[in-house]
Parts: sequence; structure tokens; C-alpha cells
Amino acid sequence: MPSIEPRPGVRDCAMKTPLKKRLWASRHFYVFIAPFFALFAVFGLYPLLFSFYLGFLQWDGLSPKQWVGLSNFENLLHDEILFASLRNTVTIGLMYIPPMFIGAFVFALLLDTAWLRFRGLFRAVFFLPVVTPMVVVAIVFGLLYGQEAGLLNYVVEKLGWERIPWVVSESWSKPSVAGLLVWRWTGYNMVLMLAGLQGISPGYYEAARIDGANAWQRLWYITLPLMRPTFVFCTIMSLIGTVYMFDEVFVLTQGGPGTSSTNFGLYLFNTSFTDFKFGYASAMAYVVALFVFLASLLVLRLRKREEGTDQ
Amino acid sequence: MNVRRTALRVFTHAALALVALAFLFPFYWLLISAFKSKSEIFTLPPQWWPSPWRLDNFEQLFATIPIVRCFANSLIAATGHCALALFLCSLAGYAFAKFPRAPGHGKLFAFVLATMMLPTAITLIPVFHVLCKLHAVNTYWAMIVPGAANAFGIFWMRQYAAENVPDELLDAARIDGCGEFALYRRIALPVMRPALAALGILLFIGNWNNLMWAFIVLRTQDMYTLPLIIYLLNGENRTPFELIMAASLFATVPLVAAFILFQRHFIRGITAGALKG
Repeated sequence: MPSIEPRPGVRDCAMKTPLKKRLWASRHFYVFIAPFFALFAVFGLYPLLFSFYLGFLQWDGLSPKQWVGLSNFENLLHDEILFASLRNTVTIGLMYIPPMFIGAFVFALLLDTAWLRFRGLFRAVFFLPVVTPMVVVAIVFGLLYGQEAGLLNYVVEKLGWERIPWVVSESWSKPSVAGLLVWRWTGYNMVLMLAGLQGISPGYYEAARIDGANAWQRLWYITLPLMRPTFVFCTIMSLIGTVYMFDEVFVLTQGGPGTSSTNFGLYLFNTSFTDFKFGYASAMAYVVALFVFLASLLVLRLRKREEGTDQ
Repeated sequence: MNVRRTALRVFTHAALALVALAFLFPFYWLLISAFKSKSEIFTLPPQWWPSPWRLDNFEQLFATIPIVRCFANSLIAATGHCALALFLCSLAGYAFAKFPRAPGHGKLFAFVLATMMLPTAITLIPVFHVLCKLHAVNTYWAMIVPGAANAFGIFWMRQYAAENVPDELLDAARIDGCGEFALYRRIALPVMRPALAALGILLFIGNWNNLMWAFIVLRTQDMYTLPLIIYLLNGENRTPFELIMAASLFATVPLVAAFILFQRHFIRGITAGALKG
């Protein structure tokens, strides 16, 4: 619209003032963000780029770096332990996420009911594992899981069953890790779900009650659909957490026996800081991060599409 | 009046209480084991209550392991990390919230947000490499500085500052001749206190409990943090479980006590980190 010519003098100042002046006017902004960006450049940005570059090298941190092109990435395809660790990650996830989710949701529903007493106390107890050092949790669970003198096997024997080789057998190491994870993370997810529940407008429930919906129907037709974003969010968080978790397996099972409980996080650590294959580890970290990112995106997409068909 | 409903409610409370006891059980086990001798820890049937409550483990812990030093190391690392991150993130977050017209503002912020998507697993090796170059391995700096320029921290601080620090107040103070840094310190910081507390708790707990990074960058016993010394005791031959339990209690009690005192702040802080996704 060329006819609307701004009167001289009242044009947008930002348009007229030269960049130099605008920069000078905002100098405090740059001064305030400078310390952050200085550290960020050294400990955030540079590592990201350097790590990408390392993916094409062979390097143990001491001897000279050697350019190997794409061979690190090719080797990934034949890495049995990598695939075992990814399978373990998925298996452990499938073992602990469903019970944790159901537990967290039931506790959240209960803590959200008006008649429940000692709500603060219950919430605190369920949340307590989250503030406990993981190394301590893993050591205490290691004692409880003990083959000969562990408390769990004592109970198992009292019940007339045979002792279970919790952390010393390939078939039980994953469920044992999963048990620890349920204990550790249920309270955390409970709090997130509680926040989700409290975000649902009471008006929906009122309306449903007036229409004669009973408690189950209200749960099924109102709570569950409206909680879906929270569920998706918790799922993505748990998936990412399982891929990169470390302390849990490092202390409880050292990833063993064999590689039966080695998840990706532990394998990456071992490749980096036990075998000192810096180049290979960087390639691996980038590729898996990319897949994790794509998987999270996919979960989000699926939810969006579902929402689209609902309406 | 309604017997069935009352029964259901009593049952629910009882069931929840049982589950709560199960959740507390590992803490109970940690507590009693710390006061048992090594053979008592492993006796069957288990000793449900130490008799007597032995203090030997703690005496021996103080005598043979620099546990107080490790405690101090953990405290210095976590406090330092927290203080540095809170300063950087609140200053930059405030700037992003209150100077929206600065050239490049939007791009810089989008850039910070984008890096939030990348997992720290990618940067472990290069950060370690940088610390080697700076001769910072096995120093407090190695535990304090990496991760202090926290993209999530900026995001969190900006959100809070944008909503809660009133522009009118800043402008009024500016007219009265207040300097820009004084505006941040005297006006913005006090208003941002709840957000600082939440982020601070999240960072403190993460640093206090961090085993992997301590394992990578700390080399001598006088620099070990509590999780690292506990882990290394666990790896020794003839594992001294009674000492490990005592040390574990030592590492767990401060956070648990703080959690009980400031429950709401803790839950808010730790779940704030969930926004990261």
C-alpha cells in the first residue's frame, strides 16, 4: 500500500536508526548474556561440533588423531554389543514403564481425591526415592537382591520357592534393574500426572455428573482423554531416560552378567572411558541421539494425528 | 451413613499405607544396616532391628576414609555449580525477557532452545577433553563449570522473568537513575526468587548425586565426592559393606532432611526439569 506514507518523524524508530545505534542502545543486553554465551561456547557449542568431527576420526585421547572417514559409522552396523544394548534398553523400558505408569496414575488419582487423608505425607513418601543418590539406591537394592543372604531370597525361600538369581543371571538381571527403576521413578511420574489431573477443569466433571455419568465413565471419557498429553510427555521422558541412564546399571549389575543388562548409556560410557575409543563413541552418540530424537518426534506426531481424528 | 463407601475408604487408606511402607523399606534397610556389623548385615534370618546399635561403622569411617573431606567436596561442588549456574542463567534469562528489541534477540534465543534438544551424552568426551586442556581435571572446577551454562536454566528464568518482573517498575527505577545491573540485582533478582529456588534445587541435587561425571574427572581421594567414594568402596575386594552403609547414610540424610523441610520447593524444582523435553 504505497499510498500510506508515514509522516516524516513518526516512522518506527527501529527502522530508521542505524544498526550501530541499535546495538549500542541494547548494549546491556549483550553484556548480560555474554557470560552465559562465553561458557556456553566452551562447554556446550564447541563440544557439540567437536564431537561431530570426532565421529570421523580414530582417537584414544592421547595419540594423534587419524581421519577414518565414514568407517566408524559403518562399524556401528556390525556392532553386536551396540544392538544388544539397544535391545536391552527397549526390554528394560517395556518391563518397568507400564507398571510404573499404572502405579503413578493410580497414586495420582488417589492423591487427587478430596477425601483422602495424609495426602502430603503419601506424596512425600512416594517422591522420596527421587532425591536419594542413585549410587546409594543401587547398593541397597544390591543387598536386597543378594543371592545367598539377600532379604528378597530369604522371603522367597520362606514362601517355599527356590532362590532367584536376581542380579547374577542373564534372565533375571533386566527384571531386577526394572524393579529398581519402578521404585525410583514412580513418585516422579506421579507428581507430573498429579499436575496434569489438577489442570483438568472441574467443569467437565460437573457437566458429566449432571448428565448422569458414573465414576468409571467420568474416568474413561474425561480423565483419560484429557490426560493424554501428560501420558505422552511422561512416555517420552521415560524412553529418553532409559536410553541414557547410567548409575543404575553401572552400580547394580555393571551391565552384566555378560551384556545382559547393558543399556545404551552404559555401553557408550564403556566405549568412551574404558576402551577410550573416542571417535567411535562420538559417532555412536550422534547416531543414537538422532534416532531418539526422531522417535520422540514420532510419538508426538502420532498423538497429534490421534487428536485430529478425535474431533 | 454409607457403610460400603466408608469401608472402601478405609481399605484405600490401608492399601496406600502398605505401598508407602514398601517404598520406605529400602530407607529403613539402609538405616539399620549402617548400625550393624558386617556379619550382622548378612545374617539369616535377618536382624530387623540392630542390637545393639553400633557406632563402630561411623568411627571407622571417620578414621579410615576422608569422608568429611568428601562431604565438603560434594558441598563445594554442588554449591559452586548451583551459584554459577543461577547467576549466569538468571542474568541472561532476565536479559532475554526484558530486552526484546535488541538486534539478534530472537535468533539467539531460538539457538539456545535448539541446543536443549541435544543430550549431554554427546558432549561428554569433548568436555572432558576441554578440561584436560585447561588442566582442570581433578579440580573443583571440573565439577562446577560444565553444565553451568544451562540452556534449560535460561529458558526457565526467561519465562519467569517475562511474567513476573514488571516493566513499569524497571522504567520507573531507570528514570530515577538506577543502573542496568542494579535493576537486575535490586529489582529482578528478588522477584525471581521462587524460580531461582526451583532451578537451584534441581541443579544441586543433580550435582550432589552425580556419579558418572565425578568418576570421569576426579582422580585422587582428597577430591572425591560422596557418590564416588561410595562407589569405589563398593568395588573394593572384601567389600566393606558396613562402611558403605554408613557412608551412604551420610550422603542421603542431608537431602532427605532438606526435602522434608522444603517439600513443595523440592517437588516444584525437580519436576521443573521435566519441561526440558
